[in-house]
Amino acid sequence: MKDSKRSLELWAFLVPALLILVVFYFLPTILTIFISFTPLRNWNIDRYARIFAGWRNYYRLFYAIQNDPSVRAVFLTTAVFVPVTLAINVLGGLALALINFFVGKRSNALINTIWLLPRMTPIAVYSLVWYYFFHGSEIGTLNSILIKLGIIHRAVSWGQEFLPYGAWSVIIFVNGLVGVSFGMIVLSSAVKSIPTEHIIAARVDGATDWQLCRRILIPQIRWHIMYVATWQLLSLLTSYAHTYLLVSWRLVDKSYGTPWALYVYELAFTGVFDQGLAAASGVFLVIVGAILGWLTLKILGFNKLVTEPRGDL
Amino acid sequence: MVTGDVETKGRIKEIFYLGVLLALSAPILVVFVLLVISSFGNQMATNFDFSAFRFTLKNWRLLFEGRMAITGGVRENIWLHFLSTAVVAGGVAFLTTFVGALTGYAISRIKFKGRKILLLSMLLIHALPGSVLIVGVYFLYRVLMPQNLVFIRYFSFFYVILARAALEVPLSVWLMKGFFDLLPWETEWSALVDGASRFLVWRKILLPLIKPGIVAVLIFGFLAGWQDLIYVRTFLIDRTLATFIESNLETEMAYMPLLAAAATFYLLPTIVFYISSQQLLFKVYAGGIRR
Repeated sequence: MKDSKRSLELWAFLVPALLILVVFYFLPTILTIFISFTPLRNWNIDRYARIFAGWRNYYRLFYAIQNDPSVRAVFLTTAVFVPVTLAINVLGGLALALINFFVGKRSNALINTIWLLPRMTPIAVYSLVWYYFFHGSEIGTLNSILIKLGIIHRAVSWGQEFLPYGAWSVIIFVNGLVGVSFGMIVLSSAVKSIPTEHIIAARVDGATDWQLCRRILIPQIRWHIMYVATWQLLSLLTSYAHTYLLVSWRLVDKSYGTPWALYVYELAFTGVFDQGLAAASGVFLVIVGAILGWLTLKILGFNKLVTEPRGDL
Repeated sequence: MVTGDVETKGRIKEIFYLGVLLALSAPILVVFVLLVISSFGNQMATNFDFSAFRFTLKNWRLLFEGRMAITGGVRENIWLHFLSTAVVAGGVAFLTTFVGALTGYAISRIKFKGRKILLLSMLLIHALPGSVLIVGVYFLYRVLMPQNLVFIRYFSFFYVILARAALEVPLSVWLMKGFFDLLPWETEWSALVDGASRFLVWRKILLPLIKPGIVAVLIFGFLAGWQDLIYVRTFLIDRTLATFIESNLETEMAYMPLLAAAATFYLLPTIVFYISSQQLLFKVYAGGIRR
């Protein structure tokens, strides 16, 4: 009697989360795999969802990667965008965290406030401010600065000219700034938790700031750097919200401004509305992501992250 | 800062470092300041050219009257968009916090079969944002969609809130578990021994104790819902401020300051919440990590 009451209580605590897991993660995964085997298009579910298309979508996908220049461009863009943005995120976050360590608490708060702004800002507003910044006319901030300095003589459309590097630079810059704050905050708090004795000891021995960083601070927060890097890698691979508007507003070239995750979204919800192909490309991404995610947890040591509960009666 | 007799941080260097930090941060501040200035101008200020720039409130007036250039004679009710955005954000905030508080408690305090798997999947899902599954989520949306046109509108609100909250649930569970872990087990032990149900203890004793954590997760959820673009543009039938800005970009040059005003308007609540709860939010972002 008492046991059943207790398990009922347990269920009451867990049901909402389990429902969300099933309805918004488990089912959609199954559905995405299912759709990838149908010729679904234009969201015409009644007409297409019951037709079995075999591996056709996957075949089309690989054929397109090999032969369609615009899809090749997307593939190449992903291969450049993810590692470069990741490097900026991790190194930028680390640099800010270390410099933060050497300045006072009040300046710390100011810097944190500024760098969290890109992450907190509504995505539409964030995209808009960079739209103005990189705008291809004279109202573009970058153009006006460079023209005044005499470096360029006419307005340059940064995301559309100098392909592919122009488009890549713009999306990497805009996304890079969003991710830096994550590394900065996690690593700042990690640096702060290093015992002061270590730092005092190093200072007594006459260590410079640079030596202090290299020999004491960075080795002690290695685990946290790893954590930031792997987490950020997964998030860069799968998120596309901060790139979507730059492409749809034509600030950057469509092919060289579209990483893989955005390509999946664009296939399903804009232009061609080819959900079968979108699902196949999505499955591809989910598999890569799941493997990387699993490796991440292995590397970080999952058992370290999970402690036993307290409070058993 | 001086610790004991040993100076661990140099004072002159500190000013130098601060200078470097501010120089690095300058572009972010500049673009936002230019946006706000432009919203009060007769033309965009983004090119630093103030020769023909005049201060005016016209953009804001036109915005609140709903007279955007692109819509011609049709008026856009900006307050309605504001309301839809707030409904979505509020819904996401409430749902993520509620689910997080329930499940976070169970994971923190109760030993049950599958606890480790649940926590593992939460971590994995948190690492791998659910937005990759949006094709499947939209398929489900179309299958569940009611026939009645009036219902569809409400259904889309309901669904977008659930779907968007689902993205934040793993983090909120993780954070809430962390907050519960900090409370000593003795706080609830005596009540449980006296025969109170876990639910009662959770509601009457524990929730009041982690109020700051709840507020932090609420604000975090609100900002997540408020900033969203992809989910509202995909699922929601009504417009929010995000989709309003998305679709009104291609106005003529002359009307660009009006859009800047709309963006500034959209940005305001974020800034207010953000400034007022910074310290709490830093904890949220630094959290989600335990060694």
